[in-house]
Amino acid sequence: MSHTPFIVAAYLIGAVVLFWAAMAPVLSKRSFLRQLKNRQTRMEKSQ
Amino acid sequence: MSRQSTGTAFVALLRRDFLLAYRRRAELLQPLVFLLVVVTLFPLGVGPSPSLLANIAPGVIWIAALLATVLSLDSLFRSDFEDGTLEQMVLSGQSLALIALARTVAHWLVAGLPIVLLSPLLAMWMNLPDEGLLILIESLAIGTPVLSLIGAIGGALTVSLKRGGQLLSLLVFPLYVPLLILATSAVSSAAVDLPYTGQLGLMLAGLIASLTLAPFATAAALKLSLS
Amino acid sequence: MNPIYLFFHKTGSPPWFYKYSGKLVPFLWAIFLVLAAYGLYLGLVVAPADYQQGESVRIMYLHVPSAWMSMMIYGLMAIMGFIALVWRIRIMEVLVISSAPVGAAFTAIALITGSLWGRPTWGTYWVWDARLTSELVLLFLYFGVILLYNAFDEPRKAARAASLMSIVGAINLPIIYFSVEWWNTLHQGSSMGSDGPGIHPSMLLPLLLMATATKFYYGANLLTRARLTLLKQDHRKRWVQDLLTEESH
Repeated sequence: MSHTPFIVAAYLIGAVVLFWAAMAPVLSKRSFLRQLKNRQTRMEKSQ
Repeated sequence: MSRQSTGTAFVALLRRDFLLAYRRRAELLQPLVFLLVVVTLFPLGVGPSPSLLANIAPGVIWIAALLATVLSLDSLFRSDFEDGTLEQMVLSGQSLALIALARTVAHWLVAGLPIVLLSPLLAMWMNLPDEGLLILIESLAIGTPVLSLIGAIGGALTVSLKRGGQLLSLLVFPLYVPLLILATSAVSSAAVDLPYTGQLGLMLAGLIASLTLAPFATAAALKLSLS
Repeated sequence: MNPIYLFFHKTGSPPWFYKYSGKLVPFLWAIFLVLAAYGLYLGLVVAPADYQQGESVRIMYLHVPSAWMSMMIYGLMAIMGFIALVWRIRIMEVLVISSAPVGAAFTAIALITGSLWGRPTWGTYWVWDARLTSELVLLFLYFGVILLYNAFDEPRKAARAASLMSIVGAINLPIIYFSVEWWNTLHQGSSMGSDGPGIHPSMLLPLLLMATATKFYYGANLLTRARLTLLKQDHRKRWVQDLLTEESH
């Protein structure tokens, strides 16, 4: 049995998990700041 | 108001807990019935082959004991939390760890000890060999207090949460793993005439460690939940 | 005031922490990438295959550092949790709760890579050996902390509960590990991993490089998450408002 597909799968899954774990807070921060800005501009408009 | 001595407070708490337990004794039967039902499900699920049942008996009985204990832990502090009694206890000036210990002792006497007493019945159903029965009872007698002690920490952490019960089981099950391993190994070994005193000794050490440490963690968790 | 004491005092202030950890993060990522690239090159290309296990031993360069990180992070969570509870330092609470997902990720990677390593080497995807079983229990401990945190409404109370839970879990972790190891010897399971008579130096270097790289990953990810948590918790406060108006100009 060739070992290569297992090695590839292991590193691929590892990379995906680590990448996702690294990106999740970055994306979350961007959407949070966007929400905050939208709320602020809405508040400024209504005043 | 004069500060009562620690001993008097401890006894008073126990008496109160027994009185409350007696008043809701139907509720307390539920985890025990659950225990009986769960053990019954195994022969129904895996087939009544005597040798198979005997093989898995220690594990099945102990896992059923774990599940039943976790069921009874959820309500450990809940009603006192909801009606404000817990806050009063914290403010009373008595050591919170002592209060936690009293509650845990009461819990074991009311929920854990019955499991120990029911174990011969469970052993019979699971076809546990006679050599294993005494050790099963011993392992449960040493182990169920540990379940109560560690479980009280989980109960205290989740008491202020709405769906705390499910989370409680998730929190304490990993912590129960060493106990489960040691206890089932002791009973399995005894059933085939292998040495088991090492496992029981370690369990006893675990009991002493939990007895001295867990009430403080429970007290910290109670203070946290009330804050 | 003593400069060291002053430094620690400053790190407790959210705006100070936010600003300076933000400067640190890119460097941490850079070091992680360099170390990981070199370590992977050495491990996947240069290092020899194992005499007994063949090529699949290359999975070790990801599996072992991940397993080490999974345990190290839980230990750190317990230590930081202790500091957070005893001294009521908010930054510590934030760091504890920001570490948990990273630790869980490493635990999951250790489990998955361990399983994939096992299939070509020992013939099965899962075996209840001491290390994999302990890792699985550790994953449940991580889930418990994360779920406990998310169950509370109030963030600081949630973080303190999570801290207490990680301390309790960390105390139990060695006991769990040893009991599982002992349980494994009872039941004659096959063991995973090449802990032979000592690891060949050509394999040791990539392993250590990857181990160091993962620590920088943890640092970078931890600080990123901690900064986000602070931003979210403090979004009504002055320092965040000032920061936002600063950034939009």
